[in-house]
Amino acid sequence: MTALAFQTALARLIVEPEFRDAVRAEGTAALPGPLTPREASRLATIAGDRGLDMNRTLHKGFRLGKLRALLPLTCSLLAPARLAREVAAFWGANPPSSFSFLPEALEFCAFLEQRPLRSVYLAEVLAYERATLELERARLGPAPPQSVRFRHDPVRLLGTLAAGRRPRSVPERPCLLLGSKEGDAPTRWTLVDAVSPPRRYDRESAAAAPGGTKGIPT
Amino acid sequence: MRVPTLALPRLGVGLAYQAPLAPLLAAARAELDYVEVVPDILWTDLGQGEDVRYVDDCAGRRALEQASRGRPVVAHGIGLSIGSAGLFDTAHVDQVERWRRRLGFPWHSDHLAFHLAEHGDGLMNVGITLPMPRDRESIELLVPRIREVQQRVPVPFLLENNVYYFDIPACEMDEPTFLNTLCRESGCGLVLDLHNIYTNARNHGFDARALVAELELEHVGEIHVAGGMELDGFYLDAHSDTIPEPVWSLLEWTLPRCPNLGGVTFELFGSWFESVGDARVSADLRRLRALWTTATRPARRSAVAEPA
Repeated sequence: MTALAFQTALARLIVEPEFRDAVRAEGTAALPGPLTPREASRLATIAGDRGLDMNRTLHKGFRLGKLRALLPLTCSLLAPARLAREVAAFWGANPPSSFSFLPEALEFCAFLEQRPLRSVYLAEVLAYERATLELERARLGPAPPQSVRFRHDPVRLLGTLAAGRRPRSVPERPCLLLGSKEGDAPTRWTLVDAVSPPRRYDRESAAAAPGGTKGIPT
Repeated sequence: MRVPTLALPRLGVGLAYQAPLAPLLAAARAELDYVEVVPDILWTDLGQGEDVRYVDDCAGRRALEQASRGRPVVAHGIGLSIGSAGLFDTAHVDQVERWRRRLGFPWHSDHLAFHLAEHGDGLMNVGITLPMPRDRESIELLVPRIREVQQRVPVPFLLENNVYYFDIPACEMDEPTFLNTLCRESGCGLVLDLHNIYTNARNHGFDARALVAELELEHVGEIHVAGGMELDGFYLDAHSDTIPEPVWSLLEWTLPRCPNLGGVTFELFGSWFESVGDARVSADLRRLRALWTTATRPARRSAVAEPA
């Protein structure tokens, strides 16, 4: 059973910088048991190895890559400094538990929804990407339809972010985006607002939208 | 029933499949003999305890089959974590077997490492392959697991030598002794990742060729080659570039000395393909093809197979 405790401690040295720092400062005294003296000595040595820091860099890159791939618009909207702070807070409270990318992204969405963030657009962008993930997550039955309420024009807002630009002064347009997905077919979004009839909201319609937005993820 | 060790077909040169590399697979018809896939991308694991644990990715399968264009498909897994002390996931192995039946893998492999560790009531996934102590205790953990894999998936099973940015101090064995012992006692083969050895040699200051010379190369079923990059004073196994010359030299020395080799696989992350460029990647594939042809000629092979 000591091998199990050894591996847990080794993984924690990479994932938890506070634990690594404690082992660096206090040596084997900071290590929880049961460990053999050889295992404890190995861990204390590894804690001071700069290769461990490279492993942490790679671990963070792996984990952040998952979030960037699945929540590109949210990550873009948060901007690097804020994203780094939020990700650090999220990781501090949530050890990496899944090899699948999607559950962690959904957990990050839930985490951000509870945070006092000041961006006027974040709630809408987050809800849209969360709904997209819900539609695309692997499941045995059909995906339940999704509805996302927008206060700002979703074509302008999402299109600007998808084009790699920061949204500014997006006009108000209270509306709903209704998402559905059948089998392996691409997700379909339909825009429903208060004053005009429903219409498909996809790459073609986004590209033709005012402002020339394109690349809306569908 | 034990699977005969390394009864591998001699396929030739392969490419590690990534969706952005599909155009390369389409263009390089003459240079590429097989496609290697990370099978874990072909399903979603909903987790232990679910009524149906795995949801297969039918669209992903179609994309792979379209990209491979009839070439054999070899599996190189990332999800087994065979070195995890507290976990051996036979359901994962059975899922590999289900996909072997579909895609007909002539052999399959995973990493000689662990990435899952117990944490509280659950599992922590570090997301990178962590080294195991090269001790007798690790051999005794691994051998029965390898035999279980061999029973559940009736084609040769290979493990890949690990890249490591820190080494575990005071191991009982050096790396060649550990790998030789493991292969001998378990009957598994080796994915000899020459770029991993080159990376470890650069970062830890040893002679890569001397390490390879200590290996019992009859255990090698597949060779991996790749390129990397420097970051913060380390050379990384980043799969981010074409094959560096020192790895070519290692390959030229090693390849004709592996009598049971099934293939040489080039690994490049799809996200780097555009910046590396089709021309440079294609040039490497042509060079690999020429090396394979030369090294596997019967006269040449028998010449180098004689003991020095």
